[in-house]
Formats: sequence, C-alpha cells, structure tokens
Amino acid sequence: MRFQDAARDARAIVYAGVQADPLVARLAALAADATYGQRLMARAVMNGESTDRATWGVIFPTVLGPAAPDLERAEALLAASLEVAERGEQVRSQFRGAFVEALSQVLVARRTGAAAVRRERRVLFDGVASEIHPYDLTVETAGREEAWDCKWGARGINADVLNQLDDARRHAAGEERSLRVGLIVFDVRISCAVRLSQQTAPRQGTAVVTLETLDALAGRKATPT
Amino acid sequence: MIDDQPGDPESVHSAAAVPSPARAGDLLATALAAFGLLAELGEMVEDEWTYVTKLVEVGRARLRAAVPDGSRLASPETTAAIHALAAEAGRITDPHRAIDWLSTFPAVAELALVGGGVIAPVRPPAGGA
Repeated sequence: MRFQDAARDARAIVYAGVQADPLVARLAALAADATYGQRLMARAVMNGESTDRATWGVIFPTVLGPAAPDLERAEALLAASLEVAERGEQVRSQFRGAFVEALSQVLVARRTGAAAVRRERRVLFDGVASEIHPYDLTVETAGREEAWDCKWGARGINADVLNQLDDARRHAAGEERSLRVGLIVFDVRISCAVRLSQQTAPRQGTAVVTLETLDALAGRKATPT
Repeated sequence: MIDDQPGDPESVHSAAAVPSPARAGDLLATALAAFGLLAELGEMVEDEWTYVTKLVEVGRARLRAAVPDGSRLASPETTAAIHALAAEAGRITDPHRAIDWLSTFPAVAELALVGGGVIAPVRPPAGGA
C-alpha cells in the first residue's frame, strides 16, 4: 500500500482556488472548536436563504442569544457562514465542500500531527487498478494509515464512495496492512443513518463521523454507524 | 394530548418574530406545517423519493419527540425561534436545497424547543375547571 498525489484536471485546479480561499480556513478554524449547536447553526446558515444576522439570531437563541456560551465564537462563525451564503449557488456548494475538508483536516491533525495529514491523495495497491477519485483526506503515518471522504450532507453518501472505501480497506488487508476508512459528514446522524439504510454497498468496516461526533476525529475513536 | 395537526400554511410564510409565549403544541404544529412544505418540495426530486420519504418520517418523529407536552407554555425566545425557522423554511424554493433542509430543520427546531426552555405549564383560569 502506498500513497500518491492525484493528477489535477481542470476542475481540480479551479477547486484548488476555492480550497485556498482564506474564508475556508477561517470557517474551519472557528468550527473546529465549536459546539454542536454552533456547528448546526453554521450548517443551517450556509444552506439557508436569509443572509441577515438578525434572522439567524432569532432562530438560534441558545447559540446566538445574549446568554449563549462562547458567544464571540458563535458570532464569528455566523459571520463567516453568511459570507458563504452570500455567494451564488454553485460557488456556495464548492465552499461548503472545501470547508468540510478543511475542518476535517484540522481535527484529524490534532490527533495525528499535521505532517501526517494529506489532501487529495490516491491509495495504490499492488496489482489493483487505482481508483479514479482521490481521497479527500489521508493519514500516512506508517502502521496507522487512514483514508477519509468528506461530505457536506448525508445525501452525498452513495454506493460509489462506500465501495471505494471498502475496497481500499480490503485491499490493504490483502497486503496484511491496516487501513482505517471512513466518511466525515457535516450532517446530523439520523439523516446519515437513513441514507446508509438504503445502501446495499458494504459499510460494516467504514466509520461514519457526523455533526454530533466530529470531535472524535481529534481524539476518541469513531465507531462505525 | 399533543396538538400536532398541521398549522395554517400561510403562517409559515408570513411568520416573523413573535413577542409573546405560545403553547408548545402550537409551535409543534407550526414546525410540522413548515416541514410539510419542505417535504412537498423535496419529493419533487424523483431519484431521491425513497430517501426523502424516510427522512420526512424520522423528521416528524423527531419534532414530535421534542414536544412531549403540548400544553406547556414555551418561552418567547423559543416561540420566536420556531416562527422564524418556519419562515426561513418557507423561503426555500429549490427542491434539492429542500432535501438538505429536511435533514437540518428537525435538529434546529429541537435545539430551540428543548434548549430554549419552557416557562410553565398552561394552567386553567382561576375558578375554572
């Protein structure tokens, strides 16, 4: 088993510009230490229609109200989320995807060290054709390798991604190596469970990290859903 | 018994901040009505019909579970939150975004209903039954 940079096509080059946007890093840094309520607020705002602070302040009294904990972070997260919401639909979608990847990188790096975490990498196995799509996030520490795919919503869970992750895990096992594989979904657990229940692709060996369990990436081991 | 019959759909679109407390059951009805509109939109995506149908089923159950006693009085903040959330959901016109909202809406409502607190049970008027 070995890791390799993915070749960049035109789409990847454009997307790299989004990934490098300072707004993505700011959002990720704020969300990394956010509470569940703050993260849920960020998801709602980035998926919402309203782009005024007042509306969201009313919708989230326990997050943005005067007595809310860590109000400074909540306000900053709201401001950054509104910046995403103010973009056009296609750009907004790209920012949301890049945000989930960046947030995942921040959290995983806290557990593994930043140097071990890589983005957009392929995992290659002897005698096996490489997958078309690279993994969003890999951990390449010898003996503790991981491959993750990041999704904005549960709807992004599909047979292709489940098969790719499971194939990688099985191929690693075939080389007597261990590869932890999983999905990181910035969506609520119940929606992921519903989505997974409708998939026939293998998922028993795939960890699923949801909005409620994101902090597991930074320390506690995530369990398969 | 919890009053969870769908509320007036018009109120979903016209809802603004509501200054006074409301019965939790009325808020649940408002939330369910708004959720129903999202469901109608999401069901327009034929490829996702099965997913949407199940998402709606578990979403309604989550909303009802957040209001175990519909007769209790919710705080003004919770009341305003549910009305504003319903109004926000009413602004969604894109079926694909509606599916994303079907996932998010019950969790946001739950946060307001459970985290926002309840002032007190509604009591019968003095001298009443």
